[in-house]
Amino acid sequence: MSVYIHSVGMTKFGNSENNSLKDLMLAACREALDQANGLKIDAVYVGNFMGGSLANQEILGAIVANDLGLGYIPTAKLEGACASGGIAFRQGVLGILSGEYENVLVVGAEKMKHASTAEVTQVINSAMDQTTNEKYAGLTFPGFFGVTANRYFYETGASKAHLAMIALKNRENALNNPLAQFQKPTTIEEILNARIITDPLGLFDCSPITDGAAAVVLSSKPSDIKILASAQASGPTMMQDATDLLSLSAIRLSGRQAYEKAGIGPQDIDVVEIHDCFSMTEMIAIEELGFFPKLEGWLAIEQGKTRVNGEKPVNTSGGLLSRGHPIGATGIAQIYQLVHQLRGNAPNQLEKLPRLALAQNLGGTGAYSVVHILERV
Amino acid sequence: MKVYECCGVESVTKKVYCSNCSKEITNEREVPDEGTVYSFTVIHIAPPEYAHLAPYTVALVQLNNSSAKLTVRMDEAVQIGDAVKLDEIVDGTYIYKKVS
Repeated sequence: MSVYIHSVGMTKFGNSENNSLKDLMLAACREALDQANGLKIDAVYVGNFMGGSLANQEILGAIVANDLGLGYIPTAKLEGACASGGIAFRQGVLGILSGEYENVLVVGAEKMKHASTAEVTQVINSAMDQTTNEKYAGLTFPGFFGVTANRYFYETGASKAHLAMIALKNRENALNNPLAQFQKPTTIEEILNARIITDPLGLFDCSPITDGAAAVVLSSKPSDIKILASAQASGPTMMQDATDLLSLSAIRLSGRQAYEKAGIGPQDIDVVEIHDCFSMTEMIAIEELGFFPKLEGWLAIEQGKTRVNGEKPVNTSGGLLSRGHPIGATGIAQIYQLVHQLRGNAPNQLEKLPRLALAQNLGGTGAYSVVHILERV
Repeated sequence: MKVYECCGVESVTKKVYCSNCSKEITNEREVPDEGTVYSFTVIHIAPPEYAHLAPYTVALVQLNNSSAKLTVRMDEAVQIGDAVKLDEIVDGTYIYKKVS
C-alpha cells in the first residue's frame, strides 16, 4: 500500500496578533480540506510543541475535529520539540499504512508572538534535558549550535561569512514567498554586523519567533504525489554525549533509512527543505543527508550549489530562518513548499519540474529527526 | 570526575543500559578534572534565570585520559585547545578556569 498527498494549506507566517492557536489551525485545515475533493477524514494528527505552556491550550486534535465538523473521529497531538510537525505527519502516514485509516488530516501549528523573547527562550529550553549539568552551566538551545559552529570553523576553512551566505540565500528565497515571515531584503554586511546572540551566531543566523499553521490531507487513494519514504530517528539529548559534535546523527540515520526505503540516493533528490533552525544547522544537515561530503558543506555554499536552480536547491521557501518557525507547523510547512514545487507552482519554482523532493525536520539539539521523500507520479 | 563506560564508550552521564550491548552500565572510574577546550560559545541572550550572567562562556571540555566530554561554564574567555581545570562546582554547575 502507498500513501498519497491530496492537498495542503498554510497560513501566512509571522505575527498573527488577532488569531488564536485554534484560528490558525482551522484556517490551514480549511484550505487543505477545500481542495481534498470531499475525502472523508478518518483521523486527525496535530503537531504542536508549546500550546500548553505558551498558549494555555491543549486538546488540539479534538478541537479541530469538532470545529470542522469532522465527526467524533480519533485525534491526537504529537510533541517532538521542533520536529512535532514532521512526527505528526509520519503518524498520519503510519495510520494509513496500518490499514486503520483511509484519509488523515495532519495539521501543525504554533502561537508564539504574544510572549516575550525571554519567556519563549525559557520554554524552548525544555527541548533540552533539564536535569543535567549542561542545563545548570547555562547552555541554551542556540548556544549548542554556537559551540558546533566554532568547532566547524576550527576544523575547516569555513567562517562566519559562510553562515551569512546561508542566511542570505534563505532570505532571498523568502522574498518571493508571500507566506514567509521576512520579506525585507538584506545584505551580507548587515548579516555579519548584526548583534551577537551566541558567538559566533548573530541575529540572522537564528530562526525567529513566529505564529502560523500548515495542514495536509493524506490518503491511501492515489493522487499526483506519492510518499516514497517516511523515516525517523533519535539522537543524543546532550551535547557532551555526542561522539562527534559535528554530526547530528539523527539526521544521518533518518536520511539513510529514508533513502533505503525509497531505493534511491541523495544524488536523485531534486529539491530539498531542511531544518535550518540556525544557519549552522543547515550546514550540518546538507552534509549528514549526503548531499555534500562531510566538512565540505561550506564549499558547496560558497559555490552557490544550494541556491534555487543550483545543483541541490535547499529551502526554496526561505527555510525556518526567513519563512519563519512556528515550531509545530514547520514540518508541515516544508511539505507544503515541496508539494508546490512538485506541482510546478511554488515560490522560487525550479526551472526543471522536480520529481523527487526531500523534507527533513529536526527536534531538540539533534534529539529527533524525521525525513520524508515525496515523488511526483 | 567520574566517568561511566560500556563497549568502549565513556560518558560523564550515568545511563541505565548500554545502547550497544543492552546490558546495564556498571563500569565506572575516576578521571582527572583537567582537560582541553574542544569548543565553546559566548552566550549573549540567556533565559531569565541566567540573564544576570550574560555574556558568559560555555565550553565543551575534552577530559584528559578519557574519551568523555563535559559541558562547563568558564569564568574567563577561552579558545579551542586551551588547557582548563575545575575551579568549583556550584549548584550542579561545573565552573572551569584556564590552567595558568
